[in-house]
Amino acid sequence: MRLLTHNMLSSNIKGVTNGFPLRIEVEKVVEKEVEINHDFLRNIFPKIDWKAFSDASRIMGYVELPEEAPEPSVLESDLEFLRKFHHALLELHLEEGALVCPETGRKFPVNKGIPNMLLHEDEV
Amino acid sequence: MKFPSLSSFSSPSPMDHAQCLRLMVFNSLRAGRYIHRFWGTSTLSLDSFCAFGYPVICSRMKEIKVKDASTWCTLVPDGEPHIQSVCEDHKCSSVSVKSTPEIEKKYVHRVYDAIAPHFSSTRFAKWPKVAAFLESLPTGSLVLDAGCGNGKYLGLNSSCYFIGCDISPPLIKICVDKGHEALVADAVNLPYRTNFGDAAISIAVLHHLSTENRRKKAIEELVRVVRKGGLVLITVWAVEQEDKSLLTKWTPLTEKHVEEWRGPRSPCVRCPSSFSLESIPETEENGLSGHMKDSRESLMEDMQQSACLNPQNKDDSLVSKDGRSQQEYFVPWHLPYHRAEVSGASAVALATGLAKKDDKKGAVVYNRYYHVFGEGELERLVSGMDNAVIVDKFYDKSNWCVVLEKTL
Repeated sequence: MRLLTHNMLSSNIKGVTNGFPLRIEVEKVVEKEVEINHDFLRNIFPKIDWKAFSDASRIMGYVELPEEAPEPSVLESDLEFLRKFHHALLELHLEEGALVCPETGRKFPVNKGIPNMLLHEDEV
Repeated sequence: MKFPSLSSFSSPSPMDHAQCLRLMVFNSLRAGRYIHRFWGTSTLSLDSFCAFGYPVICSRMKEIKVKDASTWCTLVPDGEPHIQSVCEDHKCSSVSVKSTPEIEKKYVHRVYDAIAPHFSSTRFAKWPKVAAFLESLPTGSLVLDAGCGNGKYLGLNSSCYFIGCDISPPLIKICVDKGHEALVADAVNLPYRTNFGDAAISIAVLHHLSTENRRKKAIEELVRVVRKGGLVLITVWAVEQEDKSLLTKWTPLTEKHVEEWRGPRSPCVRCPSSFSLESIPETEENGLSGHMKDSRESLMEDMQQSACLNPQNKDDSLVSKDGRSQQEYFVPWHLPYHRAEVSGASAVALATGLAKKDDKKGAVVYNRYYHVFGEGELERLVSGMDNAVIVDKFYDKSNWCVVLEKTL
């Protein structure tokens, strides 16, 4: 699971008011390099909840991202920032661990990079 | 501009000590060895079913849904049906709509889990209409594929980012093994934030949902997760099949039987003698002639022994007396013996009566539940929505299709 995906996942358990962001519990992180695409990064940047993203990247072991979201203009010219953004967003994978609902503490397992977000009968 | 190809990796550059400590490397994930074939190597045991939360015992609830969602019929101890209005509270009605009915657990979820690798091997032809929709999306679009199956459409537009989800863990494993981003989730209850995606697709999914409310809910979820102005493409199998002979190869289900299975109560206790799974119709694993290039098993044809009694009125608007009113079907999937795990999902399925052996065809035969859609039915489901409009609708290769745009 990449952090771009994490940034859009939310706990949908019955009764939960705000299930985002899910807290990450790390057991195993893997890095997989992929080709950078600047246009894609510029398009996706406005959608990202930056605080959740930068917090998550720290938990995954990457400390290079600023805590505050940069101005969008930074993405036009700062290649170094784009590289870091790309790395955290798309190259870090939570391979084993869990995603934890912020309100109920319920853990959604992540195995072999696959989150299982299915709810039990009593959670729907 | 091309989105990064997830199949090409270079060796990690020299790392400092801190990076090494953070990094847990698996050789199998390096370039050239990352993509491995899942097919033929998986085994599913009953444990894996249980691990993914599929109960194997029947519940004892006594509610039976009657007709539409506005009333519940409850059997009280004296056996007299007692109609009561469903509570208007949103929470109450959504509890029922998000719970998976038995018919879907048995004849959708477990079947796809059991046939996943074989099913995936027949799913490679890209439907031109879907491909065109995806290729029309702007660069950098976030595309959600709900019910992505083996991930056939994930990554189709290399300038977009795809996230797939499916109820079947083995199918999701196939997606992830190909390098896609995918997760296990329920189309009726998507785990995504509202307004996040740019587009969503639901290709041949909604016809596996056994109630109108669940089908509506799934559409609402697709619209919820895309942004204002975002597009949603939905395709479903049509009653009006181009190859009419296909309908004779499916097993029609009577409304009475489907109603029994919609509740949490298991059908195993009340399997009606008039309905038999032994009347397995013939070869076609799928009635979707749109996937013409898919490989098909060429097997001998069985005699169609119709177990269908008089099709009764549906809970939809179509009430014609001829065969066109029949919308609930079991559609067979023939899993060749050499594909079926000897000790695994198929063994369990055979033991529990979920599947039958057909020695003549050398296959384990599963049935998949379908509610095929009539003309106008998709539009009708959408018509009550206040936050989406239909911007395109068409019939193509025996499927009804709509494109929605989120307006609010």
